[in-house]
Amino acid sequence: MTSRPRSAPRSPRASVHLRLRFGFVVICMVISLFGVRLVQLQGIDPQSYAAMAAREGMVTVELPADRGAITDRNGVELATSVDGRMIVADPTMTAPDAPEIASFLAEELDLDYFATLESLRYENTRFRYIARRVPSTIALDVLAEAQERGYRGLSTRRDPMRDYPARDVAANVVGFLGDDAIALGGLEKTFDGLLSGTDGEATYEVGGGNRIPLGDQTTVEPQDGADLELTIERDLQWFVQRVLRSTIRGAGGDSGAAVVMDSRTGELLAIADDPTFDANRPGAAPERNRVSRAASDVYEPGSVQKVLTTAALLDAGKVTPRTRIEVPGTLPRQDRVIHDHWDHGDIRLTMAGVLARSSNIGTVLAADEFSPDELHAYLRAFGLGQRTDVGIRNETAGLLPDPSLWSQINQDTIAFGQGVSVNAIQMAAAVNTIANGGERVAPSLVRGSATSDEGEQVGTATAERRQVVSPEAAAQTMQMMELVTDPEDGVAPGAAVPGYRVAGKTGTAQRVGEECGCYDGTYTVSFAGFAPADDPRFTVYVVVQNPRNGGGGGSVAGPAFSRIMSHLLRRYAVAPTGTQASTYPIEW
Amino acid sequence: MSSPLPQGSPGRVRVQRIAEAAVERARLRVVPRAPRVTRAPRVPFVTLVSLVLLAGVVGLLMFNTTMQQNAFAATSLEQRAATLTSREQTLRMDLEVLRDPQRVAERAQRLGMVPAATPAFLRIADGKVLGVPTVSTARERFDILPTAPAKPAVLRTRTRVVEVPAPSVRERRRGEGRAGDRAENRAGNRAENRAENRAGNRAGNRAGNRAGNRADSRSDG
Repeated sequence: MTSRPRSAPRSPRASVHLRLRFGFVVICMVISLFGVRLVQLQGIDPQSYAAMAAREGMVTVELPADRGAITDRNGVELATSVDGRMIVADPTMTAPDAPEIASFLAEELDLDYFATLESLRYENTRFRYIARRVPSTIALDVLAEAQERGYRGLSTRRDPMRDYPARDVAANVVGFLGDDAIALGGLEKTFDGLLSGTDGEATYEVGGGNRIPLGDQTTVEPQDGADLELTIERDLQWFVQRVLRSTIRGAGGDSGAAVVMDSRTGELLAIADDPTFDANRPGAAPERNRVSRAASDVYEPGSVQKVLTTAALLDAGKVTPRTRIEVPGTLPRQDRVIHDHWDHGDIRLTMAGVLARSSNIGTVLAADEFSPDELHAYLRAFGLGQRTDVGIRNETAGLLPDPSLWSQINQDTIAFGQGVSVNAIQMAAAVNTIANGGERVAPSLVRGSATSDEGEQVGTATAERRQVVSPEAAAQTMQMMELVTDPEDGVAPGAAVPGYRVAGKTGTAQRVGEECGCYDGTYTVSFAGFAPADDPRFTVYVVVQNPRNGGGGGSVAGPAFSRIMSHLLRRYAVAPTGTQASTYPIEW
Repeated sequence: MSSPLPQGSPGRVRVQRIAEAAVERARLRVVPRAPRVTRAPRVPFVTLVSLVLLAGVVGLLMFNTTMQQNAFAATSLEQRAATLTSREQTLRMDLEVLRDPQRVAERAQRLGMVPAATPAFLRIADGKVLGVPTVSTARERFDILPTAPAKPAVLRTRTRVVEVPAPSVRERRRGEGRAGDRAENRAGNRAENRAENRAGNRAGNRAGNRAGNRADSRSDG
């Protein structure tokens, strides 16, 4: 192409030019259309289109995480997750054979015949629950059998179930799951986040009902929940619960609690509550039976408190076990008169005798050496008025009044355990301080360490220790407590374990009634103690509310204590120490 | 130009020869026809390509089929694993029921066993007995059965008072004794029966039956 002809617009070259230009314009228009569409798709609302694309042939399946088990200290399961199934019926298909199917199901699954029959004939629905949380194998067996017999309209679906193999054993502590696997109480709820884990999901392409092997897929693996290991021992817990129940039944009491603690480590080996409930059927029990009374019931400890007062007095050097106290028959204080639990004239007791005989008047006279602040500081150090934070829900802190509000009579009654409120675990831990050489170990219920949903860290790994009274004061208190179970001098010979040195203290406290908010003439009886006294291994605390047989701490709770303690000593093979019992004088 | 050129007036001769060469180059000639290239036979190549293609397609097909089959196998194995897991769980549950402390204790009590009394130890080293060995008696036994549920009011028997004319002293004494005995027996029997039924009917038996049935059906199959 050398020269361009100027004229002749009709030449073929000009027409080519025109066509090129026209084509170019068309291409531009088309491309700009594409551009606009691109902006529309990618710029304005890309998500909805992506979702639309994903819906075509993509399937998302939830991969449920397994809920962790709650085990005792030996790994025996107290609560465990089981693959369950629900059996559902389509009444439009089951109605014709309803009676046969109902009797078959009632037989196989222990269902109520009439309720099942009604469900199978229900009108205007195609979905009725027949049975929920049936162990998967049983459900599938039953369904296969039903199919064999030609019953139509039954199917199963996944329905995770929680099993509590030991039913009421430790149920109040472990708690329970409600319908649809929602944690409703106890440790199940406190540590729900830890136990439940995180569900995963799998998304994959499906063609013609089958997974496409090389298709797009993403899988988020489920994070199974962690197990929670408790310090409780199941068989021991069962024994303690049964002893407690038979004690309460025998005394005609309302309720009660028993706490067993390892003296050296503060681990709670058993926390028994009665009345209790079957964790597999929580709905059958009233709500007040489903909480842990050992932690949530608040009551006045009575004479068990004298152990703390005496240890504090000894530690402060205000008294010795041989300090002589003249105890009058009655002691008028402010507008009230303090009595002892037995009638007596003027008697002469040593400090040890005051504790052994459980004299209120003697304790009050000895505690006069304390200022309110001093006594309050000691009691606070023993853990009164503060939650133990073992991990049980709705634990009460108890009530230890502020010393600035104490009048003389307040201090007097607090010294022997009235006008101050505690929970059973708190009191067991306080008495355990004496068993552990004056060092308070925070009680713990969870082995290792676990973080609750509220972010609180609990467990044996975080248990605090603090010296409350000197080892000497603790040893002296122990020897004084030993006199309580003495067959001649003590008030609770029934709490003794033959062959062993046992230190303990009874408590019989007036109880504040629920209606009037005043002492209503009912009592709380209790016994706290440890054995072997000179090398304590276990601390046991038994409380019975409102016994109607007129018994006190020594006669009601004492024998229960003895039974539990004997069992413990045998179970853990603790031989008697074989040393001489305490020889403190009682009188002078 | 391989032949030696004549000497003399070398300038001219060179020029001439250069020009000659240029002329020679400028002259158009017919390109000699290239010798005929021997063409490789076509058939083997086509065969090879088709074979490769066929192998690829078949391989891909087989690969896909294997993948599918593996997927099916994986699914069925997973299902089997799930079934076995749930069977294990069920068996474990049955086992837990069987070793439930309550059940074991009830069985033991029915056999007449009682909890041990005071613990005592025998020290092997010197043969010394530690503690106070005590014989366990029925006194150690305590009630381990749950409280019976309260009877609904409808089922509670109402006391019917029947006035009878006072009998003579001797008659009364005899009658009282008998009536008392009978009442006691009846109450005792009833309580015992109820306790036994309750203990027997509860999960223990059921688990036992279930385990037994299953074992039977398995041995049949």
